[in-house]
Amino acid sequence: MSGAAHRPPRWAEALLERLLPEHARETVVGDLREEYIESTLPRRGGLGARLWYIRQVVSFVPWFAKEGSPMGKFLLLVSLLSLACACWLAFMETVLRHPGYVARIGTALVIASICVTTILVRMLHAGIRCERWLWLGAAVLIGLGGLAFFRNARAAHFEGFVFMISLVLVVQGVLMLTTLGRARSLDPMTPLH
Amino acid sequence: MAELLGTFEQSVLLSIFGLGPEAYGRAILSRVQETLERDVAAGAVYATLERLEARGLVSSRLAAGTAVRGGRARRYYALAAEGQRALGDTRRALTAMWNNVHLPALGRS
Repeated sequence: MSGAAHRPPRWAEALLERLLPEHARETVVGDLREEYIESTLPRRGGLGARLWYIRQVVSFVPWFAKEGSPMGKFLLLVSLLSLACACWLAFMETVLRHPGYVARIGTALVIASICVTTILVRMLHAGIRCERWLWLGAAVLIGLGGLAFFRNARAAHFEGFVFMISLVLVVQGVLMLTTLGRARSLDPMTPLH
Repeated sequence: MAELLGTFEQSVLLSIFGLGPEAYGRAILSRVQETLERDVAAGAVYATLERLEARGLVSSRLAAGTAVRGGRARRYYALAAEGQRALGDTRRALTAMWNNVHLPALGRS
């Protein structure tokens, strides 16, 4: 039982190793490999054992979001990137007015991704380091959202689509601010840097 | 009295106690599954272990790994005095709560 076929899926093991906090990385991956080889594979067979392993990796997601995990920064990056996409689409919407169904579906997907990443960012709690650029980012979100909302409200034709985007921007900004505030309250000695 | 332990926390602590010197992550996971008679996700067990250790209810030490683990270390857990106290408190509280309570026998539908 030493061949690659008798080991957990390489990509899943590498993902787990990459995402776990450093202090737990070696022991957790070792435990799961041991369980996979000695118990799960003989009991469930190849496909069943691989599915079991993937399910175990997924079960660590809440842990990934905790302090010390590189996943925290990754989630913030995804959040900010999706925000950038939403801003760009919002401006495109303002300019083009009638971008067609494909663009609307694309934008809806971006908005959905923003909501999901915002929820994930909320899960980080104290895992976020209170860096000035995050506070600034949150303030910019609220500013952009507010600006889009008022410009839309004053326009000749009120666009519900732009309203939705501006609302999402403001909500995400507020959520980021509250998350950062919570991180500070949990660790008041953490300096800003 | 300290904060009472949840069912899952009790199960993890009792598994560590039952396994004695052999209480490392994989063994604890298996024991918890046997005790609760259901498939338990590894993430839940490790998150609980970390939380219990942070609260001082268990202690841990690293030991050398085996070939099947690719040489990766094992982390062995032991019940701390505070953990034993918490288990005792929880048991006393549950016993007191159920004392003189007689529920009518109901069949499972």
